[in-house]
Amino acid sequence: MSVAVPSASAVSARERRRAPEWPVTLRAVVRRGLLDRRRSVLIWGLSIGIYGAFMAAIYPSIQTSIEKIAKSYPSGLKEAFGVQAMSTVEGYIHAEMFSLIVPLAIGYFAIRAIAGATVSAEEHGHLDTILALPISRAVLIVGSYLVAATATLSILALTGVMTFLGGRIAGTHISLGLVAAGVMGVWPLALFFAGVAALTSGALHNSRTVTGIALGALVAMYALDLAGRLAHGLGPIRWISAFRYYGAPMRDGIDPASFIGLAGAGVLLLIAGTVLFKRRDVLH
Amino acid sequence: MAVVIETDRLARRYGTARGIDDVSISVDQGEVYGFLGPNGAGKTTTIRTLLDLLHPSGGSARIFGLDSHRSSRQIRARLGNLPGDFACDPRLTGHEFLAFCAEARGIRGPGSGSLLAQRFEADLDRRIGELSRGNRQKIGLIQALFHDPELLMLDEPTTGLDPLMQEEFLAVVGEYRERGGTVFLSSHDLDEVERVCDRVAIIREGRLAAVEKVADLRGRAYHHVSIEFDGPPDGAEFARIAGVSELEVDGPRVSFKASGALDPVVKAAARHTVLDMELTEPTLEEIFLTFYGREGKS
Repeated sequence: MSVAVPSASAVSARERRRAPEWPVTLRAVVRRGLLDRRRSVLIWGLSIGIYGAFMAAIYPSIQTSIEKIAKSYPSGLKEAFGVQAMSTVEGYIHAEMFSLIVPLAIGYFAIRAIAGATVSAEEHGHLDTILALPISRAVLIVGSYLVAATATLSILALTGVMTFLGGRIAGTHISLGLVAAGVMGVWPLALFFAGVAALTSGALHNSRTVTGIALGALVAMYALDLAGRLAHGLGPIRWISAFRYYGAPMRDGIDPASFIGLAGAGVLLLIAGTVLFKRRDVLH
Repeated sequence: MAVVIETDRLARRYGTARGIDDVSISVDQGEVYGFLGPNGAGKTTTIRTLLDLLHPSGGSARIFGLDSHRSSRQIRARLGNLPGDFACDPRLTGHEFLAFCAEARGIRGPGSGSLLAQRFEADLDRRIGELSRGNRQKIGLIQALFHDPELLMLDEPTTGLDPLMQEEFLAVVGEYRERGGTVFLSSHDLDEVERVCDRVAIIREGRLAAVEKVADLRGRAYHHVSIEFDGPPDGAEFARIAGVSELEVDGPRVSFKASGALDPVVKAAARHTVLDMELTEPTLEEIFLTFYGREGKS
């Protein structure tokens, strides 16, 4: 306890007086966010990837049965769930995983990533500490969005690689291009719902409410799109669902306009959320 | 002397609930400024408004001459803050957290973090979530100080620290002031304020009740007087003296509070045979409570 803090500190006066440029603080936020999420990215990526590899690997042994079952499905259901395309391994994986489970899981991950870095951090008092550093609120929320984007992309990449390897090892002619399109096609959905979470985080203070609203929007949009495909009367309102633009990239490839449109909508939601986040109080 | 913090009728309301109102303070460079009040008086609201975590509903605040809202990032680059209930990601170790703080401040290396950790005997290798409250508070103090800021904003800084560490903290604050640093210290620990602060602002129910130099606050205060005579005194003789209150006579001893000059008391006592005389200065706590009591009744 006798060690004195030197008066001529290691921190130079120049460093002390100037606020760092925003790219410096953004890099710090993103780097810390990615380090914090590296374990969850591995767990989620490996879990979904193992499931994908398993689905691809069992396809040759169940292909004949699927074709028989598919014939008994009503045409509306076959169209809604992509059953008509199960004659290919990519179509089968889309119907089993990428029509519902993967978009919901990745969307949820993205929502939690945003809510965790903003409203949840606010609830736990972490923002009082973080926002006493020269980090702007815009950098904080944009940084958390970049973390969510990078983390979801990593999970999808792991999923794609493992699914492809599982299919190839099992002797299917699974297409690398379609698998890549399938996993990349989910990404704009993640960006969109991360944007929804950013918008609600900009307006609200409770992480459960933010997660609930964003997850509710995710499920409601899926249900609306499904209903629109099943009931032609609801077809005209499918345009308000993000899933309308998602399509079936694993089966049909990526539609660039839908990809850019969904991602762009996510970024617009992020911008709106940033404006709100800058204007509101940080409560504790 | 340059003014580091200046607020002009700063107000922050929570809907219909009271927050702070009409808070005008001025903190000079190199000063240790105590911000004193009981829990809920508005100390933390004032600090959080200065840090732009809360937006003011009236008035204005300037730090280093910069608007606390518009230039918040520039201000935060030059200060160190310890929140009232310091919290950060519990999964991080102290080293990881300080590395993040340094990177966010654009600083290469840990600054004086290692030396401070040595002084506060802080364990930077363990996850912060595994630390006791006092040990977490040490990490909070280090992150507020490690970059040698121009201004320290400390909200109840010694909460959870053991007495030895409290002494170490007060020593660090003293050294910091000697180097020209400015401290805004919110506390309800009067002893702490008395020992390190140059001036003290007293806040009650969201409004500033007084701003005094600690020395003046004492000077303005009363003395406890207790005099023992060779026989029972005439209490009325002392009760008539201006500034005497709470007079009690117990056998040959008379006790009372005397505010203002003590000359009339000494002269009145000198007319009798005095066997013993005690003169006690009140603690800052007693002064504070007296002040609060008087204001509270008005």
